[in-house]
Amino acid sequence: MIRRLYIHNFRCLENFELPLAGHSSVLLVGKNGAGKTTVGLALEILQKIARGTNRIDALVTPKDFARGHSDVPIRFEIEVALEAKVYEYIIAFELPEGFKELRVLQERLAVDGRPVYARDKAQVHLARAGQDQEAKFLIDWHLVALPIVQESSPSDPLFIFKQWLARMLVLRPVPGLISGESEEEQLQPNTQVTDFGAWFSGLLAYSPAVYTRIDGYLRELMPDLKDIKNPIVGKDFRSLTVQFSNQNGTLSVPFEDLSDGEKCFMICAVTLGANEAYGPVVCFWDEPDNYLALSEVGHFVMALRREFESGGQFIATSHNPEAVRRFSEENTFLLVRKSHLEPTTIRPLNQILKGDLVSALVQGDLEP
Amino acid sequence: MSVNKYRPHVYGLPEDDANRQLANGFLLHPDLLARNIQVLPEVGGWLEVLSHFKSEYAKGMEQYQQRLMVLLIDFDADETRLSYAQACIPPALKNRVFIIGALTRPEGLRAQLGSYETIGKALAKDCRENTNATWGSDLLRHNETELRRLRQHVLPVLFARAPQ
Repeated sequence: MIRRLYIHNFRCLENFELPLAGHSSVLLVGKNGAGKTTVGLALEILQKIARGTNRIDALVTPKDFARGHSDVPIRFEIEVALEAKVYEYIIAFELPEGFKELRVLQERLAVDGRPVYARDKAQVHLARAGQDQEAKFLIDWHLVALPIVQESSPSDPLFIFKQWLARMLVLRPVPGLISGESEEEQLQPNTQVTDFGAWFSGLLAYSPAVYTRIDGYLRELMPDLKDIKNPIVGKDFRSLTVQFSNQNGTLSVPFEDLSDGEKCFMICAVTLGANEAYGPVVCFWDEPDNYLALSEVGHFVMALRREFESGGQFIATSHNPEAVRRFSEENTFLLVRKSHLEPTTIRPLNQILKGDLVSALVQGDLEP
Repeated sequence: MSVNKYRPHVYGLPEDDANRQLANGFLLHPDLLARNIQVLPEVGGWLEVLSHFKSEYAKGMEQYQQRLMVLLIDFDADETRLSYAQACIPPALKNRVFIIGALTRPEGLRAQLGSYETIGKALAKDCRENTNATWGSDLLRHNETELRRLRQHVLPVLFARAPQ
């Protein structure tokens, strides 16, 4: 999974490194504006690249330079352990004088230290297995190469890395926007999870057996759950409904009419199912405690932590005391930004705090 | 739903942050019936555990007969603490209250056995597999009597059935 995430000159993150090696789950805490969500935005950029967005202005824009420092490149580096191989992907963007749109300064994918391809501005050097000479070609410097470079087979490390990165979950659900309707099947939900119906359909098409897992998790939360149906209601159009039943009868509820918290339970269930079916995945969930009853927060967070213990990685942010309590000093990181003119700093909690984190957060005097 | 009050369930009440983290490790066991246990916020000292138990939780235990409580305290090398704590439990609740913890302070445990979560995981593994590798360590083996009761009454609520 992710061993290292390095971000430089992107919004409030300068020379920022998230040390994820050895952690199956991690909590980011810190005041509003400290940079927790920005870590998710950085992951989202990498995820978008793997999902096929290659036009740079759809990824980063000049306003993303930290405090307007457009003379310094924006840089993302991610190091990932997958199937006993270490993948390292680097991309740096620059804004030369007179340019309105950023261009690629450097891009590189390496597996176990050997380059798959390396790029310097427009020039791409493609390593070809079994051949002494590398292939060279030019690419528009306003396009990212990763989505364009063709993989040879599903066992190609390039394919493995791209698929893994594309399936990374960066979640910031907005339940009010989730209708449960879908026109397609897919395994790559958007950040707000407004395409939940398509994700649910895609997951069950990919691995029908995972419904048992989803159902099992949800029944513990909602003992009157009978089943979830996803009927075709129009041409290539499905709509999720949830059926409840008890001794008094049966009730069918359109997904969109579930409460915000219940929709989050559904998202959690599908996340657990996704990691089981096509994991290991990395899941960054910005404030997973949102919309939940206080008695549920701890169970919710622990269900996710427990799932990712056996593979994958769960990264959460939170301000909620119950969520914070379900992490420990070795997997909690404090993000601090002293002012809007200074970058975010990060420290593991076990280096700065002895005692009650929740109390220290309430007092607001935690310093890195 | 959170724990079902009308079925057997366990409340864990940790003394401090270290015990809370031990409990976190325990909660990470993959076979845990997680909906049967709720770990409560830490209260800030072993005397506070007893005080909170009496003021906030004893009444609930009387009301909900299926509730078991595990009090996680530090013994601070005090041989009389267990009997003192037990004496604070109303007689009608004694068979549903369990008092366990490190012989000295959890910091000593951490120095010997790793992070609190790691220790919590190891204790859950011992419970699940009916072993004593971690429970038998120097700073935990004094819990033997309570652990025996725990295995009999609490663990069947937390783990569905014995591993194959």
